[in-house]
Amino acid sequence: MTTETDILIVGTGFAGLGMAIQLKRSGRENFIAIERAGDVGGTWRDNHYPGIACDVPSHLYSYSYLPNPDWSRVFSPGGEIQAYIRKCAEDEGILPHIHFHTNMLKSTWDEDAKRWIVETSKGTYAAKILITGTGHLADGHMPNIEGLDSFTGDVFHSADWDHSVPLEGKRIGVVGSGASAIQIVPEMQRLASELVVFQRSAPYMIPRWDRAFTEGERRMCRRDPSVVEDMRSEIFWSGEFNFAQRRNIPRFLNEAKALAVGHREANIKDPELLAKLTPDYEIGCKRLLISNTYYPAVAAENATLEASALQRVEGNTAYGASGTGYDLDVLVFATGFEAVRPPFATRIFGTEGISLDERWDQGMQAYDSIAVNGYPNLFIINGPNTGLGHNSVVYIIEAQVDYIMEALAQIDAQNIEVIEVKRAAEDAYMEKLDAMAQGTVWLAGGCKSWYVDERSGRLTLVWPDFAHSFRDENGTFHPEGYDMQPAPVAAE
Amino acid sequence: MLDNQPFREGHVTVNGVDVRYRVAGPENDRTPLVLVHGTAGSIDGHYGYIFPMMAYRQRVIALDWSEPAGDTLELADLVAQVKAVITAEVPEGPVTLMGYSLGACVAAMTAAEMGGKIANLILAAGWLRTDTHQKMRNDVWRQLRDQDSASVTQYMTFCAFSPAFMNMRTVEDMKAAAGMLKITPFVEKQMDLNTRIDIAAACETIAAKTLVIGCTYDMMVPKHHSKQLFGAIEDARYAEIPSGHAVVHERAAELFHYVDRFTRQPDEFPAGAIIPAQKP
Ligand SMILES: Cc1cc2nc3c(=O)[nH]c(=O)nc-3n(C[C@H](O)[C@H](O)[C@H](O)COP(=O)(O)OP(=O)(O)OC[C@H]3O[C@@H](n4cnc5c(N)ncnc54)[C@H](O)[C@@H]3O)c2cc1C
Repeated sequence: MTTETDILIVGTGFAGLGMAIQLKRSGRENFIAIERAGDVGGTWRDNHYPGIACDVPSHLYSYSYLPNPDWSRVFSPGGEIQAYIRKCAEDEGILPHIHFHTNMLKSTWDEDAKRWIVETSKGTYAAKILITGTGHLADGHMPNIEGLDSFTGDVFHSADWDHSVPLEGKRIGVVGSGASAIQIVPEMQRLASELVVFQRSAPYMIPRWDRAFTEGERRMCRRDPSVVEDMRSEIFWSGEFNFAQRRNIPRFLNEAKALAVGHREANIKDPELLAKLTPDYEIGCKRLLISNTYYPAVAAENATLEASALQRVEGNTAYGASGTGYDLDVLVFATGFEAVRPPFATRIFGTEGISLDERWDQGMQAYDSIAVNGYPNLFIINGPNTGLGHNSVVYIIEAQVDYIMEALAQIDAQNIEVIEVKRAAEDAYMEKLDAMAQGTVWLAGGCKSWYVDERSGRLTLVWPDFAHSFRDENGTFHPEGYDMQPAPVAAE
Repeated sequence: MLDNQPFREGHVTVNGVDVRYRVAGPENDRTPLVLVHGTAGSIDGHYGYIFPMMAYRQRVIALDWSEPAGDTLELADLVAQVKAVITAEVPEGPVTLMGYSLGACVAAMTAAEMGGKIANLILAAGWLRTDTHQKMRNDVWRQLRDQDSASVTQYMTFCAFSPAFMNMRTVEDMKAAAGMLKITPFVEKQMDLNTRIDIAAACETIAAKTLVIGCTYDMMVPKHHSKQLFGAIEDARYAEIPSGHAVVHERAAELFHYVDRFTRQPDEFPAGAIIPAQKP
């Protein structure tokens, strides 16, 4: 049996849920969101490792139309964000629209029926419009480590934390030194008898201006919502200021660097450790991390910083590329996500019958960062060129949802059956982005990062400009980029 | 590798003094943007953010004021310098002219005098006529200066930033920022000029499409001045940024946002519009 719906959303993280909320608020009922897991939340459902928190202040890192006066801290713990997302889904009446434990396996465009046929783990759906909100940090990346099968201890990924594994007094290895690792390491350092951090490349880090909000402050936010609005504006525009660093302008880059160097030197006294923790690329080329607890943790008595990648495992011994081996009980992989080639793209097949992943053999690309030629009636949220190094992803998601809402309104008003972006428009958009990306720290910063597609050297993940210009440029639907075919008038 | 933007330096002679300016950014369908700094400012001091960021979008020209001969500074001296730079670089026009603080008064006067050559005008934290509130502040400043008091720069800093901005920092941070201010004889002349501004009549004649930007928490040039400019200039629209007078530091990115949008499409909002703030 095929379930028919006007609009099918895949995923219920900030993106899929944000889309669903706006559909519902606009009075639409004929939509379904499918979610492979058993709850909403995406990132914040899957990542429940010790120490998880956001690194954009919570008052901004939330839906603009559902402010939360009750955040406990400037940077709230992950569990609180998950509870917030869950509450949004409940309050907005979205849960009845969600089909949980429903994994999209294969979506194909049915040229005759002008429908997307979506095969899932729970049966087949047919939808006029398909919207993906599958996230770009949703599928954990596990490096291929020689001999990992032979490891005698426990192994898990940061995004799939195994809370049943006892950690107290254990010898723990953390693989990676990115955004997740730096939150995990201080927690592990407190629990472990010995801690080893396998660091392939040293990150830049700046202080985290975190603190708890008082009950009085929370009451103030409840009593006067304009206070939250002012905070959002303040956080957003100070985040925007930092785009000048990513733009690689010497004065602003050097200011950021001075902050990072000062932070490092204030915390790390041992010159050998300091050298290991000093990055060999430009600040901002990889994600700029914020932490007050990471440096003290790696400098602690029971911690060792192995300044090379984990290379192989033999029994209970884990070897860095340097050749040094460590006997361990637990290995935590904080090795990031399949961001550059997102798995959802292997599952969507367009008019030519090829997958998005094949179509993107030189890297992801989409017109207005949302639509791909050959894939009609498909909108991709938080896909190509939407990532930010300096501000809240939810802001970008909201702009994309606005875009789709306008597109849907036009589709309805003109009784459009097929809407497909023109190839020339898509290519012109990408040319514009390529030009904008030149000279930015992501391309010129001398690092290897998940922002850049290795196959083409193009910046495919990041929006290479201010977040506010994303909204200026991509927050409204541009019909001129699309071919739109009205539905034939039914013959009586 | 840093992205060292190529730029060109130029200079013109105005009433016997050398005026230096900088040109950067591609020529395209946007009109060239000319930036005029304010009291105690410079290209780097007031446009350290806007100049390089706008130069990724379009042609940008900015000048540093030069001290003219004579004991007192007149608005006309500074207007002459701006006119000379525009004439040297974009002789046929049109340009978009932006001024900040006293630079906004200079820019408005220039627009009134140059007519059609100034197609678009941006006035950030400027004013129409010096009022009692400003004279009072200026008078305290003058007394501190005459006592050769070190607190004169702290007083300037105190007046320049909003409470919210200051409260994100420590008193030491703010004092350190004050310590960077240099009061030269030329700055003293600018402070004196600040007490004698009256461009009300000229503003009535400005034909340029104008964007007036007021700052909500400005204690030096409170936003009612920007509202007066908004009223006085025929083809004006108004935007407000929640910052102190030092908007070029405090909310540089938000200021950029308004400048970028306006230079891309000056008529996006009609005359008389109050542009709604972006709610992120
Ligand atoms: C540890 C961590 C911390 C972060 N901190 C911040 C931060 O502080 N600030 C910030 O701006 N960003 C942060 N991010 C980025 C974060 O991913 C985004 O901000 C945001 O949560 C993305 O939302 P999304 O809905 O696009 O994707 P996700 O939250 O990843 O949701 C995607 C959903 O789609 C589902 N899905 C995927 N494939 C399928 C399929 N085939 N079938 C059915 N369902 C599917 C997934 O199960 C998931 O529920 C962080 C990311 C991580 C991993």
